[in-house]
Amino acid sequence: MRLRFRLHAASAIVAMPLLAVCAAPAAAQNAGDWTMPSKDYAATRFSELAQITPANASRLHPVWTFSTGTLGGHEGQPLVVRNTMYVVTPYPNVLYAFDLTKDGYPLKWKYRPPVDQNSLGIACCDAVNRGAVYGDGMIIYNLLDGHTVAVDAATGQERWKTKIADIAQGETTPMAPLVVKNRVIVGASGGEFGILGWVKGLDLTTGKVAWTATNIGPDSLMLAKPGTFKPFYDKSPNLGVSSWPGDTWKHGGAPVWGWMSYDPDLDLVYYGSGNPGPYNADQRLGDNKWTTSVLARRPEDGSLVWAYQFTPHDGWDFDADAEMVLVDLTIKGKARKALVHFDKNGFEYTMDRATGELLLAEPYVHVNWASRIDLATGRPVLDSAKTTGASKGNVKDICPTLEGGKSPASPVAYSPRTGLFYASTNSMCMDYAAVLTAHLKGTPYMGINSPYHAGSDKNLGAFIAWDATTGKRKWAIEEPFPVWSGSLATRGNVVFYGTLDGWFKAADASTGAVLWKFKVGSGVVGNPITFSGADGKQYVAIYAGIGGDWLLLSGDVKSDDPADVRDPADFARDLARHTSQGGLVWIFALQ
Amino acid sequence: MTRLSFSLVLVALAALACREQTEVPPGANQPGATGIVIAKHDDRVFAGGVAPAAERVTGSEVNAANAVDAGAKLFTGMNCDGCHGGGAVGAVGPSLTDGRWRYGGSDADIFRSIAEGRPKGMPAFAGVLQPPMIWRLVAYIKSLAPPKDVPTESWVDAGTPAPRDSGTGPLH
Repeated sequence: MRLRFRLHAASAIVAMPLLAVCAAPAAAQNAGDWTMPSKDYAATRFSELAQITPANASRLHPVWTFSTGTLGGHEGQPLVVRNTMYVVTPYPNVLYAFDLTKDGYPLKWKYRPPVDQNSLGIACCDAVNRGAVYGDGMIIYNLLDGHTVAVDAATGQERWKTKIADIAQGETTPMAPLVVKNRVIVGASGGEFGILGWVKGLDLTTGKVAWTATNIGPDSLMLAKPGTFKPFYDKSPNLGVSSWPGDTWKHGGAPVWGWMSYDPDLDLVYYGSGNPGPYNADQRLGDNKWTTSVLARRPEDGSLVWAYQFTPHDGWDFDADAEMVLVDLTIKGKARKALVHFDKNGFEYTMDRATGELLLAEPYVHVNWASRIDLATGRPVLDSAKTTGASKGNVKDICPTLEGGKSPASPVAYSPRTGLFYASTNSMCMDYAAVLTAHLKGTPYMGINSPYHAGSDKNLGAFIAWDATTGKRKWAIEEPFPVWSGSLATRGNVVFYGTLDGWFKAADASTGAVLWKFKVGSGVVGNPITFSGADGKQYVAIYAGIGGDWLLLSGDVKSDDPADVRDPADFARDLARHTSQGGLVWIFALQ
Repeated sequence: MTRLSFSLVLVALAALACREQTEVPPGANQPGATGIVIAKHDDRVFAGGVAPAAERVTGSEVNAANAVDAGAKLFTGMNCDGCHGGGAVGAVGPSLTDGRWRYGGSDADIFRSIAEGRPKGMPAFAGVLQPPMIWRLVAYIKSLAPPKDVPTESWVDAGTPAPRDSGTGPLH
């Protein structure tokens, strides 16, 4: 068996240059495939597939399921490329390739990289992985311990492996890379470990680091070049240093753990940066640029073109790592190349993605830390009673919580058919007691106690439809628990999402009527996808497997460690009645 | 930097260290009269980036005056709560309040977990913490009494006894 495998491997290596020549260009994808984390460069998570409609969605039924053998939070989503489905598990980051042309979808291969188990204790919030990306005949993804790997999509052979991050510095790498032209764009988590946040551009063919750009620090490190960097609001040079006391920027956070998008016409990559560290804002007076920001860069050399900070001097852990969805919208009668972002801080921002000008910002959940966003300055109008820091003591009842009005881990979808965005939201508030903390390598850099409680809505969460041209909710499906899955929108006018208590649901994109639901075995924190099978039928796939922040928050869903038994969270005591940990891949189709 | 005198905690504790540098190899840990030998494991995370020096620690300071209170301050000051949660109820790291222990729950076991670190990312703190400080952390952790009924989490209404005979089958 082993000998045969090795022979196959050898012949694959010999054939590799031939395969590379024959490979179709990355742009020529089957519309029924799902080749990148957010479906397309615009990050819409919208599929043109239309066989499943509100009229027939009640006939959805499971056709296949697979245990991943891991219990970490199953965030992210599978890929489907040319009748093969690719699944990356949470740590230890096994990559499975399933043959969708054969009965029972047997494995074509699996790839099991070595991953440093110490990364489990350096990752702030469970051993998650947010998925892989396809590029140039390779499946490319990050291992939790700070490596990016590229694996031959046909054979499973490792093409290259690059160390991009250092867990000794508090860096881990659960985010999903994006491939743009000859670059693989990656970033690191560690906003809870005092990292100096960055993104890197790797060479697609070799994996070598072509450029590194920090999110904070001097313009030279940030690749903010004179004449190229043109922010709409804050134009002073070196704000990445001058908006911090002393050298606190060196441990200032700004992790990159969310989703990236790309506009080919403007040639700009967009991503969000995370929270400043530590959580005790007194230790870093100033705006703390460019934490909690959107940054727009050139993929080729990483040059920063513009940046905008959603939450200056963040004292609430409002990471801006949520997706930047790139759509053309008519705002106040004018056609705009827009960027739409649902921030953790509770506001939805509609921006001009060419210039970084703010066009609209409206709360999509109950918000009380700021009354509004001033469109002239781009800055939030704060409620001084809700600003935090060790000197402020225990600040009560801040809405939303540091989990976000929507988590960046739960990306929205946009349907050009309805013109609406679909978002998983949370209705919770928090107390925030910051304390003095010291940076000690290899340990968290936080200084916070922040218990949550239910918000003013009667439910803890909702799945909503939202008009980003007006900043208004169109409909909402209320849920008993916070909603933590990503969204999927389809040409068939059906939207999909999952719940923490383990339901996978289909709803009418226009009305919000729930059309179908199925209990998938564990809470859903992953993102649904849809694809065309080898038989031409439309399929929908989703991970089950509660975790991520919910491993920390609802501790009594833990199931694999007899030496770790926890009480339920006060704000969601009933959750473990409906789910425990467990990793499953599900595929559904019409019966 | 060989030992970090941690500013947020009781610097005076540093003077209380009762230890000797030793050549005893790793693995020769013997709590009790002969003391604990702190070992350096190269595959562990080192808090502060400082590896523990091999040394023998004799005696325990778990019962020192105000040890629990000092340990509680250290639990926050050394960022333990960042992984184990406020009150050590568990977060990304395991709960330390459930009376269950992966690596043993004796004073010496917990001392070694803190001093040497453990797999899956628990840092070794003996490079930056004096043994008296580690004993105070042990005192705090041991003071966290587990709830009375850890194994059972029940959604049955406490006022309604569970039905004893649910049917009338022949087995009754």
